[in-house]
Amino acid sequence: MRSIIYYVREFLRPEWIRKFFTAKTAPLETPSYFKGYPTLTGNKCTACFSCMMICPAPGGIAVLRKKDGWEPEVYPGHCIRCGLCVEACPEGVLSSGRILDVTAHDGTAFWSWYHLEVDDNICMRCGNCCVSCPVNRQIDPQLAGSGTSSSDEVIMRIEGGRVQILHEEKCTGCKTCETNCPNSAIRVARMVEGVQIPEAET
Amino acid sequence: MRNILQEIKNAVRSRSIHVSYVDVGSCNGCDIEVLACLAPRYDIEQYGIYVHNNPREADVLLVIGSVTPQWVDKLRDIWDKIPEPKVAVAIGNCPISGCVYARRGTLTSPPVEKYIPIAASVPGCPPRPTEILSAILSVAPLIFKDYEERKP
Repeated sequence: MRSIIYYVREFLRPEWIRKFFTAKTAPLETPSYFKGYPTLTGNKCTACFSCMMICPAPGGIAVLRKKDGWEPEVYPGHCIRCGLCVEACPEGVLSSGRILDVTAHDGTAFWSWYHLEVDDNICMRCGNCCVSCPVNRQIDPQLAGSGTSSSDEVIMRIEGGRVQILHEEKCTGCKTCETNCPNSAIRVARMVEGVQIPEAET
Repeated sequence: MRNILQEIKNAVRSRSIHVSYVDVGSCNGCDIEVLACLAPRYDIEQYGIYVHNNPREADVLLVIGSVTPQWVDKLRDIWDKIPEPKVAVAIGNCPISGCVYARRGTLTSPPVEKYIPIAASVPGCPPRPTEILSAILSVAPLIFKDYEERKP
């Protein structure tokens, strides 16, 4: 009998009744270190498009021209919140969670270059790529229609009947050669590598 | 008298939201987040939300995934089976934009809004369980409160 009274008294406690009828967990808050949608930090965007090029989700981020300069915009229906754009941005325009703190602490960055590759099986040695390349034309204005050049400084030239890539590092990734290639034999690929700069060098 | 009855109905409905989820071709990431809502960490049932997976008992339909051709007619069937009042919530990026599947060579046809009316969408790949929870809790009262009064 005493135990029944004990239980009735226990269940009539206002605190117990309130706990029973309302949600038991406190309203869940998102911790500050969670990666949310990237937000603008106020730094000036230089329109290098690193964020757009590294974004794995189609249409996740776009760098738009605003009245005073450029500004990246993130689209929530497309963005997957991976935070790669935040890491790739050299100016620190975007921020998300504690990515900027971690990259600054660890000295990590993305290093990117353009890799040129010619498929010799389908290349017909027309030399269109060498002639159309704007960097090539700047280095060697004498670059002829056959794509041969006496200069060693050009990105690529026809040498011995096939395209030789001499200076890959000068490529700006404009892909003019790709669009002018009749056989899609030349491919421009943007290579990205994560690098860590040791503290001694910084 | 009628108002009191309506108040009771509102109170009961806000504490008993039955959810059915349908995966119309996703990577299962969002399904795992919905499952995480059931787990003790988030515990969806303490808010009065019950996951049933039976469209005939459901009030809220969670649509997950970009729509594959096999699901086009079946999704419509499931939506028709749910009794009124009903609401569909799109979970994740896939029903909104197709996310990573929105590229050439994939057999998906997002957005899901083409097939059934979507009342709310939770973007994210995957969305967090808290976001799913708050979306259901915020959209359900809008649809179910004074449902009979609003009906012409």
